[in-house]
Amino acid sequence: MSELLEILQQEWAIRALIASSLVGVMCGVLGCFIVLRNMSLVGDALAHAILPGVVFAFVLVGYSALGFFTGAVIAGLLTALGITWIQHNVGTKNDAAIGIVFTAMFSIGVMGISYISRNEGVHLDLKDFLFGNVLGVANSDLYLTTGITIYVVVSVIVFYRYLFVSTFQPVIAETMGIPVQLIHYFLMLLLSFAVVASLQTVGVILVVAMLITPASTALLLSQRLPSVIILSAIIGLFSAVLGLVFAIVLETTPGPAMAVTATLFYALAVFFAPEKGLVFRYLRKRQLKARIKLEDGLKQAYRLEQQGSLTIESLAEKLGTTASSLQKILQLLRTKGLIEKGNLKLTSIGVGEAEKLVRAHRLWETYLVNKIGLNNEQIHEEAERFEHLLPEALLDAVDQELGFPSTDPHGSPIPAKAGEPSFPLIRLANQEVGKIAEHQSGQYVSAQLWRMGLLPGADFKVMEKSLEQVQLKVGEKEVKLPVSLARLVNVENTKN
Amino acid sequence: MSHAITVKGLSVSYERKVVLSNIYLDIEQGFLYGIIGPNGAGKSTLFKALLGLIQPNSGEILIEGSSIKSKRKKVVYVPQKSDVDWTFPATVLDVVLMGRYPHKKLFQQLDQHDQAMARAALQEMGIENLASRQIGELSGGQQQRVFLARAICQQADIFLLDEPFVGVDMTTEEKIIQLLKKLAAEGKTLLVVHHDLSSVREYFDKIILLNQRLIAYGDTDQTFSEENVAQTYGGQLPILHQTGMIS
Repeated sequence: MSELLEILQQEWAIRALIASSLVGVMCGVLGCFIVLRNMSLVGDALAHAILPGVVFAFVLVGYSALGFFTGAVIAGLLTALGITWIQHNVGTKNDAAIGIVFTAMFSIGVMGISYISRNEGVHLDLKDFLFGNVLGVANSDLYLTTGITIYVVVSVIVFYRYLFVSTFQPVIAETMGIPVQLIHYFLMLLLSFAVVASLQTVGVILVVAMLITPASTALLLSQRLPSVIILSAIIGLFSAVLGLVFAIVLETTPGPAMAVTATLFYALAVFFAPEKGLVFRYLRKRQLKARIKLEDGLKQAYRLEQQGSLTIESLAEKLGTTASSLQKILQLLRTKGLIEKGNLKLTSIGVGEAEKLVRAHRLWETYLVNKIGLNNEQIHEEAERFEHLLPEALLDAVDQELGFPSTDPHGSPIPAKAGEPSFPLIRLANQEVGKIAEHQSGQYVSAQLWRMGLLPGADFKVMEKSLEQVQLKVGEKEVKLPVSLARLVNVENTKN
Repeated sequence: MSHAITVKGLSVSYERKVVLSNIYLDIEQGFLYGIIGPNGAGKSTLFKALLGLIQPNSGEILIEGSSIKSKRKKVVYVPQKSDVDWTFPATVLDVVLMGRYPHKKLFQQLDQHDQAMARAALQEMGIENLASRQIGELSGGQQQRVFLARAICQQADIFLLDEPFVGVDMTTEEKIIQLLKKLAAEGKTLLVVHHDLSSVREYFDKIILLNQRLIAYGDTDQTFSEENVAQTYGGQLPILHQTGMIS
């Protein structure tokens, strides 16, 4: 450890650390847009394609950071233009066009390097270009990298709105007068900058890893572009620095070590990201499964209790489980207060919860038959699944859409919603008769009924039901109730 | 009566295929227009031309009397839901705030006023509680409301909506049509690409019947005749009859 710290205090190591950090941040920021615009392949292509530019610059001006930079940017832009030109003017498919151009450029570069490095006294190593040589970073390289990083980051901040809209919705961007095509080329320019700056650190082959891996990781972790960009920059930074340290410790090549570190972060996010990670998705699935098992247990217990035959044996048989796993379910139901302690009997809360499930099941069955047009045999399984998943608000909407049915397609009664009467007035169909019940669910309802002259025990007939109101005939008088009230009025169905 | 949009002799063709041929239109300010026509009738192309996204082969388009380039702020486009990348890392508020972008210069930041306008637009569409949700987590109806909120937030005069009722629930459809009617009453001009012939009479003040050429346009009562619709849809009419879309 102390040995490592000593190494890291060497001047070349500090330069390498700074260069790696800068490249990590810059590629992280830029990579978000590359990934979101589906330009990963273009990024890779551009990285490879700058090679001949660098070689050409070397031939012209010798070993110079600025020379490499200029040559690389020109080669990069020529590649971008070449790809776009082929895509628009030749019938070749997009990715094929990219492949053709970048492999050709790359090959020219490789041939150039091997040709000139045959000459005596030329220190140009192909390997350094392919995989970087971060330990050989000179001060002039560092200045260039710093300048480029600042330029890239500032550009992204200044043009953030333009980049956001043109990436998210290019057509909308155009309607706003944003020059979408220009922004595309500007990004290509930034991309070639980033590639040149990364040349020394990770090399042309692996720079795409620094662009897309941290960005893809960040996209798994956040739902908002600004935080995705910041996260991606941080992940890029850590990948580069940790990768460099690993490489020094393990005495291996830094570029690949950085790429591998970035991939490790990505793998961590794939499994452990809070929303999108596989582990949490699996846990949520298991939770749901456990809840469904519990709810099924409660529902069957409720049914058996209603039939007066609720025993451990009958319940185990209904659920198709062994006695031991049934004990687990019962234990959970007891801790939740749904079943009485020490007694195999549903508590009032348990009954309420069970009725909610039965209501969901039967309403959904009715919906599938009446509205979707499935037949009675097809619906039970569907409803078995959906009774656990439908939120109550949606069920209320289904209830209303169906006109508040009283029975399901099999003829079983649909329980009332908790807190509503067991047989509300709304359940009666046109021409059916009923009697206002003695017991109403609250003073509000009683008062409203009294005001309308509907006293307990009054006989009435439903004349007309609409979505807004129910029209009743009481004796010779006609009374109109809003649907919201008709749902709360407890009646007895006298069925003629 | 002023004209929000004037189209004079517009023709557009892709490669050699004619998509729009010699269209003349005077769109009056303050009305809700339905654009009706079969698939491939050039409805989307008409929108693109109005928005200045494509160069017409011939003809001229005037927005409030001048070219689209100087009127971009005044025109807002609501794309089809299927044209949106719903996995994009953006929240509802981010999208609605996009409506403020055309009002900002390059170095100008969004301020309190912009935030307030976005909130008001969300409220108008009844989705203020969804502001911080990622757009992909919403239902179809909510997604459509987000884009309408963005349009409101832009304070445009002219609204171009591409099939806003596709894939939304009944409540949202009602909410949207109420909003569109309200905007028209406030003097906004709205053009809506619409497919469901059964609701045309109820929804639109005026209609434009299009099938590569302009079949007819004007007040819905007079223009939405069986004869005109038959001409627009050509041989497809018997099917429409059978499905009860028109009577």
